Amino acid sequence: MINYDVLLKDLAPKKFSKRGMTWVIFLVIIIVAGIIAYIDQLRQGQVVTNMRDYVLWGIYISNFVFFVATSFVGSVAVAILRLTKNPWRTPFVRIAEIITVAAIVMAGITIVIDMARPDRLLNLFIHARLQSPITWDVIIIPTYMVISMLLLYFPLIPDFAILKKHFEKTKPKWSKWYGKLSLKWTGSAAQKAIHAKSIAIISIMIIPVGLLLQTIDAWLFSTTYRVGWDSTNFAPYFISGAFVAGIGSLVVVIYVVRKAKKLEAYITDFHFDKLGKLLVLACLIYLYFNINEYVIPLFNSKKADSEHLKTLFSGDYSIPFWIVTIGGLVIPILVLLFKKGRKPFPMLIAGIMVVIGAWWKRYIIVTPTLMHPFLPIQGVPESWHSYFPSLHEWLITSATLAMALLIITLLVRYLPIIPIQRTMDEQEMFKTENIAEL
Amino acid sequence: MKKLGTFHIVFLLFLGNFLAPGGFTDLYAQDAKKNSVRLKADYVKIMGGEIYVNIRATSKIDNQNIDVPNLEINVYNEYEDEEIPLGKTITDSRGKSKFVIGGLQAIKPDSTNTYNLGVSFEGNNDFKRASGSVSFKNADIKAELITKDSVNYIAATLSDTFADSLLAEKSLVIQVQRLFSPLKIGEEFNFTDENGAILVAIEDGIPGIDGNLNIEVVLDDSDDYGTVKAIVNAPIGKPIVEESSFDQRTLWSPRNKTPFFILLFTGGLIFGTWGVIIYLFTNLVRLTKS
Amino acid sequence: MGDHTKKERRKFLDNGLKLGIAAAIGGLGISKITSKLNANTEHNSGEKMELMTVDGTLIEVDSSEVMEVQHAEDHDQKYNVREGMPNRKFVMVIDLAKCKNALKCQQSCNKHHYITGDNAWLKVYKMQEEKDTAPYWMPTTCMHCDQPACVTVCPVDATFKRKDGLVLIDNERCIGCRFCMAACPYSTRVFNWSEPNQEFTLNMDMVNHQYSPEHSGMPSVKGTVDKCDFCPHQVQKNELPHCVTACPNGVFYFGDKYEDTVNNGEETVRLSKLLEEKAGYRLMDSLGTEPSVYYLPPVDRLVDFEDGLEEYNEFKSVDKPE
Repeated sequence: MINYDVLLKDLAPKKFSKRGMTWVIFLVIIIVAGIIAYIDQLRQGQVVTNMRDYVLWGIYISNFVFFVATSFVGSVAVAILRLTKNPWRTPFVRIAEIITVAAIVMAGITIVIDMARPDRLLNLFIHARLQSPITWDVIIIPTYMVISMLLLYFPLIPDFAILKKHFEKTKPKWSKWYGKLSLKWTGSAAQKAIHAKSIAIISIMIIPVGLLLQTIDAWLFSTTYRVGWDSTNFAPYFISGAFVAGIGSLVVVIYVVRKAKKLEAYITDFHFDKLGKLLVLACLIYLYFNINEYVIPLFNSKKADSEHLKTLFSGDYSIPFWIVTIGGLVIPILVLLFKKGRKPFPMLIAGIMVVIGAWWKRYIIVTPTLMHPFLPIQGVPESWHSYFPSLHEWLITSATLAMALLIITLLVRYLPIIPIQRTMDEQEMFKTENIAEL
Repeated sequence: MKKLGTFHIVFLLFLGNFLAPGGFTDLYAQDAKKNSVRLKADYVKIMGGEIYVNIRATSKIDNQNIDVPNLEINVYNEYEDEEIPLGKTITDSRGKSKFVIGGLQAIKPDSTNTYNLGVSFEGNNDFKRASGSVSFKNADIKAELITKDSVNYIAATLSDTFADSLLAEKSLVIQVQRLFSPLKIGEEFNFTDENGAILVAIEDGIPGIDGNLNIEVVLDDSDDYGTVKAIVNAPIGKPIVEESSFDQRTLWSPRNKTPFFILLFTGGLIFGTWGVIIYLFTNLVRLTKS
Repeated sequence: MGDHTKKERRKFLDNGLKLGIAAAIGGLGISKITSKLNANTEHNSGEKMELMTVDGTLIEVDSSEVMEVQHAEDHDQKYNVREGMPNRKFVMVIDLAKCKNALKCQQSCNKHHYITGDNAWLKVYKMQEEKDTAPYWMPTTCMHCDQPACVTVCPVDATFKRKDGLVLIDNERCIGCRFCMAACPYSTRVFNWSEPNQEFTLNMDMVNHQYSPEHSGMPSVKGTVDKCDFCPHQVQKNELPHCVTACPNGVFYFGDKYEDTVNNGEETVRLSKLLEEKAGYRLMDSLGTEPSVYYLPPVDRLVDFEDGLEEYNEFKSVDKPE
């Protein structure tokens, strides 16, 4: 039983420690470097990347897919767990919502970076063709962005009211802002009714919209003829991949935030254990889809498929492929299957491996296929026969990842990272339940 | 002069410098810089249509034949040692020009009833003067479409207009007008018989817009008569059926022809979802107010 | 007395001679100077002309370099550019039995579309399906498919399918997402990754020209996609596409499918007859793209495959100016 004041002291936003400031400055430096590189890309054109006519999509697109996949965590950790009535989600729902918002915002930015004519961005709206999968993407990303922001904002309203009071004397300016954002929340019955209904609606709506987002992302590839993309398996494959990437990121961020803000009392080994089980379940399902995608085509040995798989298993992309599959999937599964592996620190390691694996997995999905067009690659410079991202691409991509982390960091800094009101409510319920039992 | 003073010698040497070969060849080079032009003129008569001369100007530069544009060509009628001017024309960017003759009454034939036309170019800074000529007698082709035993034929007669005689043993080309170049039908050589006539069967199934075929009967580039062409409109072709999916609603149509399924499905999803989102925003407002 | 006259005569002759030579020199000199002046205006006199480049800057060019190049002037568009020429459906037939990789088609296409990148729009592939089957040369253009995957995926209607069968690109609308390139199974589209640097060849010809999707490459636009356009700018003038006329072996036939007639610059033949006699087929037909380019298989070859190896360059398809 934690008393109210202690709760508030633990969960209220605190100033950045020196470590925090250093971290932010580090991120800002990376972001600035990326912006400079992007300005150069605008000036010279995308010739500054190493993409050319054959590998026409590179790490900008695989990075985009990674962000879209990671943004699924909101649907999973908040909505799905809510629907399936898993109360242990409360301590980390806010972190999940924050990751979702950061990821989907960065997805929107990253895809514009890949456009060679961002000055014509409005064409996507003025001249939109509904038959194109990209138009579906243009519709679903802002939709998901708004819904996930609402999912973050609504539960924050009561917490903002609490924080307004908490900071009234110590930080009056903050108090004013929190007050504005709390929308005159008083906790009245009428407000609570609207509030609860809204959250219920959002939680239900975000699941199909989230699933649709992952599906449309997959359809960007599977609506083409390309070997390795033209697969009926792609949409569910991407959905399960999103589960993995999302929960993996969640685990890593939770561990770091928990350590930095000393929230061990709120996010306990129990939570890690549960999350670990969820993650291993997601990884197992993902492994199942991987087998469908990469092993089954070996059985009928269609020429194009065999060549593509050979490239992945033993050819030019074999090293990243096996690192991603073994290191990013198999080993985490093995670790997480055991209770000892679901303790916080092993979970962190598994989470990191999963996230890095998830990022490189998208690279494996996007690039090798483009190296196997139907007609032979001839009549183009030798450098066009291979692809490794250029310095500009690395700088810009790192900047987008840094920006995502910066958004997460800033939101973690200024928002109560664990829902205060809800935690209190649940404690109350727990208390009354106990009394009732006595 | 008995004695050439030093001054004279120096002066003469000085002059000699200028009179060196370089000086003279310079003058020659000016003239030699002009290229020669070849003018070719061909006579074409369309039955019931235009009569014109196709003029082509070419020049051999660096061992290559190139077309010469922008040359002003004079066209004239050579009659009894006179050159009666008929008009001027300028070659286009491909060195060609079409000079339309108003009618054969405008020009005078010689005693053998041959019309003699000349084309000339006065020369300019880059090209020397040039001339060419073309001579022809007037010939007629009368062509018509005949159907016999449900087979379609082109019947044509070739005659010399002045002599009013039928021309036998001449090869005519029968062809259907097509986009770039006409499509030949019949044999390779269709010789006129002793009556100056030919009969050529038209195969079935040649497509045409609304079933219309424009069939040409051509005496092609003959030495005596130039080129004579008669055009017959034969509505015996296979009507063209448009196969294009342009007017249909397909996946590859522009946005104003989106397939209904996509319109309804995406429209429905968008309105449904955003309707709820708007409702949620109004809830936020209600929250503030209550 | 005599002496005096002799002296006077001498003097007269002397003067006459001087005068005569002076006149001769003067005349020569003047003619030389005038010819030099004339020559200068013809060869690099330093006389400059001001011209405007494609993006609105003024440059100075020696007037001797300004030549009129023949190309399509602005036409009265009697049809909508996005709808196409009425009552036509353009097709191409490529006879693989005649191709010996002369690459004249590629060079003509590169020249007339001012291609300055590293990837030509018309590629002649060295094909060999299996190690046991015979190799052959296969020129490919855009297939102008009747069910074009590239048009389906374009989000902004920048590439469009016309009633006359052509698939064209509006370089002023394209946003550079490259989805069309990902969708095309024939790898026929190229991308302008940087500024196309067409100024020197293109500039003069742009003077009277307004951009139209019907003449791709005039100009090419940075950050957009390009491909073979079946030369509608030629067809408007009643001329065959550049690759057709450039090929010395009569490999390319082009025409209107509705007229059932195709032309390779020399022969005019019925399309249906050609396809029947020579067993025409289409590339990757099973994908369902419905291409407009037919191939005649390399049977009864008129050329040896090996003859083409001389021109073959695996890593180059566009000649760059030095």
